Amino acid sequence: MTESSDDLEQRFRAALPDRDERDCPPADTFWAAAAGELPFEQVRTLVDHAARCARCAEAWRILADVRHAALESEAVVDPPRPLAPRRWDRRRALLPLAASAVAAVGVWTALHPAPPLTPAVERGTGSTTLRAESPQEQPAGDAVLRWSEVPGASSYNVTVLTPDLVVLHQAVGVSARELRLPEGVRQRGAGGLLWNVDAVLPDGRTVGSPTFELRLKER
Amino acid sequence: MTPTRGGDSGSLDPDLGSVDRIRQVLIRAVERHCPSALAAHREDLVQMALVRLLERRASEGTSPRGASYLWRVAYTVVIDEIRRFRRQQRQAEQLPGDERGTPGPEARSEIQGCLDALQDRRRTAVILHLQGFRTREVANALGWTEKQAENLVYRGLADLRACLGGGER
Repeated sequence: MTESSDDLEQRFRAALPDRDERDCPPADTFWAAAAGELPFEQVRTLVDHAARCARCAEAWRILADVRHAALESEAVVDPPRPLAPRRWDRRRALLPLAASAVAAVGVWTALHPAPPLTPAVERGTGSTTLRAESPQEQPAGDAVLRWSEVPGASSYNVTVLTPDLVVLHQAVGVSARELRLPEGVRQRGAGGLLWNVDAVLPDGRTVGSPTFELRLKER
Repeated sequence: MTPTRGGDSGSLDPDLGSVDRIRQVLIRAVERHCPSALAAHREDLVQMALVRLLERRASEGTSPRGASYLWRVAYTVVIDEIRRFRRQQRQAEQLPGDERGTPGPEARSEIQGCLDALQDRRRTAVILHLQGFRTREVANALGWTEKQAENLVYRGLADLRACLGGGER
């Protein structure tokens, strides 16, 4: 028996547990993931969480609708390209023919390493690269995040997360290029931390950094 | 090229007509994806979210933020409103969150077990597909080409069907 993709969707949704949402990532993190702003590992963590959480799955489905509409009505999220419809049902009729091609692709994939998992969107590779200027490993009692200057930036927004993407701290409108980690964050950083920074330009645009790691060591 | 995150910022300031379009999309999305008890409040939820959106715009001054920024904030505030609504309902019912906590291992479904068994890249692609993302959007989120995303979704679905006992023929 062959199960259609729609049937799988229904089955998947029906199986989602209704868990408490206190551990759920902030909604903006979902948008950031869909916009290609996060590295694969972080997106994978978010997606895996949503596969175990009806509330976040719901947020992802609303996100899908909203981004479809944004693309269709504004064409601002990405440069306009024809949308790729789901074609699994039509392809099923071509499966015998496609099987050999799939096998060839499989052999090719096995023989060639996967391409680097870089986000689709260029970040930190232009002339205004945002780099971490603080060490990746710092004493737990005195950890300070520092980053490179973005010319013309009016302020910076800094987000500190756990490795499983729970936001621990957000500092908005920071005028300096450094942020001392609050004690509450340091105390929860034993398992390592992630952080990123957005430079806010006067016209409202933001220049985002990659996500950096921070390890805290006890003295 | 200036590396703006996700290409989601830097557009021209949208006119307020965009807000009405966003409102319609959000109401429809809440109606489609939320349980009926919550969807019944979709107009109020979205209205509250848009009030917060406009308040935020006002507090941020007159700097043009772009239509994409507006969609992003609208999405964020409506999810926040949904979460707040649920918290209020829970408090009203005096049900501590833990009582609605994650089911134990016995409640794990067959499909989740099969998803867990997929390779990371295939699993991530398939889950996004099952959440309603199109191939191009899966590619954009994961930093892949559209072709890569298509292949991974396709293979992942085939693996999933095989695991569930209904393999492709």
